[in-house]
Amino acid sequence: MISIKNIKLGLAILTLLIFGLKTNAQTFVGKSIKINIFSSTPVEDIKAASTLGSAVISTQKQEIAVQVPIKSLEFDKKLMQEHFNENYMESDKFPSAKFKGTIEPVLDWTKDGEYNVTAKGTLTVHGVDQPRTINGKLSIKNGAVNFNSTFNVACAAHQIKIPSLVFTKIAEVIQIKIQGTLNPLTK
Amino acid sequence: MKKSKLFIYLFLLFAFIAMKASAQQVDSLLNSLDNAKKFNKVEATFKSPHIVLSHSTETQKKHDLDLRIRHHFGDIGGEFGSAHTLYGLDVATDLFIGLDYGVSDNLTIGFGRSKHDELYDLYVKQKVFPQKNDGGRPFNLTLLAQIGLVARKPFATTEFSNYSNRISYFIQPIISRKISSRISAQIMPALLVRSVTGDVNDPENLFTLGIAGRIKLTKRLSFVADYTMVNGLSRPNDLTLKYYNPLGIGLEIETGGHIFSLNFMNAEYIIENNFISNTQKSWGKGGVRFGFTISRNFSLFKSKNPDTKSTIY
Repeated sequence: MISIKNIKLGLAILTLLIFGLKTNAQTFVGKSIKINIFSSTPVEDIKAASTLGSAVISTQKQEIAVQVPIKSLEFDKKLMQEHFNENYMESDKFPSAKFKGTIEPVLDWTKDGEYNVTAKGTLTVHGVDQPRTINGKLSIKNGAVNFNSTFNVACAAHQIKIPSLVFTKIAEVIQIKIQGTLNPLTK
Repeated sequence: MKKSKLFIYLFLLFAFIAMKASAQQVDSLLNSLDNAKKFNKVEATFKSPHIVLSHSTETQKKHDLDLRIRHHFGDIGGEFGSAHTLYGLDVATDLFIGLDYGVSDNLTIGFGRSKHDELYDLYVKQKVFPQKNDGGRPFNLTLLAQIGLVARKPFATTEFSNYSNRISYFIQPIISRKISSRISAQIMPALLVRSVTGDVNDPENLFTLGIAGRIKLTKRLSFVADYTMVNGLSRPNDLTLKYYNPLGIGLEIETGGHIFSLNFMNAEYIIENNFISNTQKSWGKGGVRFGFTISRNFSLFKSKNPDTKSTIY
């Protein structure tokens, strides 16, 4: 009987803990995340940008998930944009690029502050998953989360083929810049 | 005792469900925020606003100016072909120089001049609606209206007795569907209105029906073809001059930015106002010829946004 009482006591504590955590757990969402891509070769520099990325951060396990519709990336030359979607990214088949991972180290999400963080997880581009650890900066201010990161994506790692005829115009490694603001989710 | 155990199991089950739900929450939240559904227009049903002879449903991109030089050589075989004309390469049955400009993504205006009949043409091409990939609209619809003016001297004094005899009109609704990423199909009925015909039995108004398609052989190599039924529809088959239906086939090779086309066709002429009514060569009698297009695209009024600015060194 004593053991059951102990278990009950333990459960009560566990319940408190879970509910305690639940109330502490926050979810942040961002609807207009900025993404810039940059390809540089001695022949040509190509840039494209989107403001239609979306992101979710759940503080409970410090999960972060970011995605961008490939077709939302705008190029100066519309024909180049069509080729990018049609020939390289195959956007009809793979409409979005996505990253999902966990943020390290453990942060206090209730306090204002600026942190250098890493996100460990999976980057999905062109339907190909790659395990990645991405460095970035994260700041918490007045209850909103701001983040930015610059990282590289190798075309070959995601099976994006560049024909030899345009090899000089498109870089093998594309630089990605991402930044955005996430606000607490109001339930 | 038993009740307590049951209670513990139930509790653990609920706790597990609760934890799982919070893990799934990130994914479902992200899905609900996804903007990808906004981009439901089907793009690139055809690679170019032109297939081989005919127009496709595609238009120029906004503020893109396309300089287009087209060339149809002479007969490869038959009476006018063979090694004596280097299989037609000595001959130019028609030459065309033109400019196409995208006023918007959906509206293109074009102007050009052909060697044959010294034909000046002006066209307006409006994309009415695009195909949607979310089951909304199953096809693309584009309207084409083209006016042609024959500028050459009359062959007979009475030929252009009235100046309006020099003018012809071509109206064509174009319907296409990207069936899969590899296969696209198109159908285009049309009406050609002209004033001068070579035969009293040849009607001035020609109703035509065209079909066209694309098959992607590899990611960057496509087979394209278009065929226009003219004879036997509104035009009798027993005219003194023998006319044939224009058929063009081609290979499109994409080199990332430029499209290289190798075209073969029986039509001697390049613009609809000419080739629909005047194709007198046959695929069966060596009347097929080689044709090519050189096109150079200029993007005008580029956005000043530094985030999308591309630089060519």
